[in-house]
Amino acid sequence: MKQNRRSFLKQSAAAVSAASIGVGGADDQSPSAGHDRELDEKMLRAIGNAVLPESIGETGRELAVEAFELWLSEFEPVAELTHPYGGSEIPYGPADPVPGWSAQIEALDLLSRAKWNTGFVNLTNQKRRELLGEQMDESSDTSFPSPGRAHHVGTALMAHYFTSADAVDRCYQMRIAKLECRSIGNVENRPEPLRGSM
Amino acid sequence: MTTRIDSDICIIGSGITAILAAERLTELTDAEIVMVEAGGHTTPARDRIAKRRRFIDYGENPWTNDHIRDQTGDGLFYRSMHVGGCAMHWDGACPRFSPEDFRQRSVHNVGTDWEIDYDELEPYYSDFEQRVGVAGEPGPPEYDPRSGPYPMPPLPLSYNLEILKRWGESAGIPFWTQPWAKATTTENGRAVCRRCDTCHVCPTGAKYTPDLTLHSLIDEGKVRLVTGTLVRRLNLKSNSDKVSYALGSSYEDPDEQIEFHAKIFVVAAGYAWSPHLLLLSANSRFPAGLANRTGMVGTYMTGHPYVSAQVDLPFESYPGMFSTNSLLSRMFARPGPLEHYLRHDLRIWTSTAGRQPRPRSDSGSRLFGDEIMEDWRARTKRSSARVRAYYDVIPDKNSLLSLDPHRTNRWGDPMPKIEFRDAPESLSIRARTHDTLFRLFERMAAAGDGSVMSTQVSTKMEHPGGGCRMGEDPSTSVVDSYGRTHDHENLFVIGAPTMVSGGCANGTPTFCALSLRSAEMIGLEI
Repeated sequence: MKQNRRSFLKQSAAAVSAASIGVGGADDQSPSAGHDRELDEKMLRAIGNAVLPESIGETGRELAVEAFELWLSEFEPVAELTHPYGGSEIPYGPADPVPGWSAQIEALDLLSRAKWNTGFVNLTNQKRRELLGEQMDESSDTSFPSPGRAHHVGTALMAHYFTSADAVDRCYQMRIAKLECRSIGNVENRPEPLRGSM
Repeated sequence: MTTRIDSDICIIGSGITAILAAERLTELTDAEIVMVEAGGHTTPARDRIAKRRRFIDYGENPWTNDHIRDQTGDGLFYRSMHVGGCAMHWDGACPRFSPEDFRQRSVHNVGTDWEIDYDELEPYYSDFEQRVGVAGEPGPPEYDPRSGPYPMPPLPLSYNLEILKRWGESAGIPFWTQPWAKATTTENGRAVCRRCDTCHVCPTGAKYTPDLTLHSLIDEGKVRLVTGTLVRRLNLKSNSDKVSYALGSSYEDPDEQIEFHAKIFVVAAGYAWSPHLLLLSANSRFPAGLANRTGMVGTYMTGHPYVSAQVDLPFESYPGMFSTNSLLSRMFARPGPLEHYLRHDLRIWTSTAGRQPRPRSDSGSRLFGDEIMEDWRARTKRSSARVRAYYDVIPDKNSLLSLDPHRTNRWGDPMPKIEFRDAPESLSIRARTHDTLFRLFERMAAAGDGSVMSTQVSTKMEHPGGGCRMGEDPSTSVVDSYGRTHDHENLFVIGAPTMVSGGCANGTPTFCALSLRSAEMIGLEI
């Protein structure tokens, strides 16, 4: 069932990407496509409920977590990253974050059981945030890293969501739709307000 | 094993300079043209949608393996070495130089006048703009002299840029749209821009990419392309200063050598690898390298640094609608002859500086969920703008590309080393230049009731050129204005290496216009 949903998400993402620019189907040649790279599904959703905005609703948080899972499933460790027009160095991406994040998730659950005698998924969001904060507190980050470089899975989940087009639109309460390919015809207009936001 | 390939014209390199020159040559002559590229083919157009997606999601290079591991040097190197060259990473900005760029000595008593002036190059600028399909709006004629309109109407200003244009002009500075090699009509066969905001990998084909021109030339049988072959030296005919053949080595079979024999050789390998090849080609008659009888190869390396600022402004805007478009002013590229020498461009972009989501508040406490959203939203009631000025510097003769014996490639060839140096007349005014630009940014901010949030000084040379500069006098130059080397009748160097100075605008239109002019001369010769 889960694999079917993932396959569906992958196909949907490719279709949306192609349709948004009005050309033929996307050719996904990701070397890691098909590799299984997963985190504990229930724990990830419990973390998502704690770190993602309540204002996006249960469905919004579920979609955000699914988008993160899809992103993670197609992550390629130490990928060749883009070098700028005038860049002398060829940068490479981070190692596979899954082993570290899996260990954190396991530790969160162990910590929860030690402190409150119940699993992390059974805690309130407030208590989940306390535990997450304890794990994350060593970093004094002032901005979100790229998700793959996040030391903590909770930070990665937030970084992935808060840099998405959906988050930008919700922040501004306007349909900005960043990085969406569309006509230049009406670019001079103020973006439309999000439905129900004004 | 040695293979021999014969042609009339051998072009070394397959970047935008080489490809536009080849295209022009095929219009002028039926000569047999062979192009030699060290790298391989670039990402095919059909894969660019998926590559863009992975760039957005993971930051991956859309032009995978566009570089050669051991073919780099010490200093500033644009690593792209594949069909299409650095232009595959290009955002497509197409500003021309100003007339003053070609007459620094005559007008301002600094630097060196070019062997040609703006008026002589103007038709070739127009030709370039037609070929690559530039969309633009002419600026005021006193700042942006042109013989005619751009081939396509400009990209429209976004809601944000309209606001920023009013702001910029409230400081008394005229701004207009940056010209881009992006289609706003379908007249030249490309799709119309869909403001995808990832111009360095355009998924729709709206932006010009030179590889597609080259593929057309190959498909029509007008050009033969040899990839994966590094030209390592040029060999002269016996008892003649003419080049006999270019000697290449194959990456697939490092022991295989390929001799490219031709009537004319055109080195179009960019600002670094063109002078490097000449230096590597030293022989008993030219012990310092080909075209280097007077020791000028590798000198006067040029480019331009920049100063930029992030400005806080008291109005709402919506970054992400079309962030790659920008505003341009060339008002300051054309100062009066009596003014202190400072020439620069000026550009404005929308910015998200200070207005991005963050995991901690100003007080340092950790934020989650809606706390992040509220903190972020509160900071978007005002806007950020990025302003940047490329300023002209006069290159010193000792702004140098040389061979570095300590760094070699797999064949043992010494790699280049580049050390940029400003001429004394530029060094002496650098602090004043920065101070003047900071004050300009402050004045702009104040005109909009805003403030400068941060400034940045970059000393990295953007849009590098030089190393084989043009001139009439062989004692101070390597090539004439057509790129023909003073020392070798059948050897041309074209494009960025021939530039005398880096100006204060992106270099692509200028070095491409120069290469189109060179192609006309080569076409007449053949």
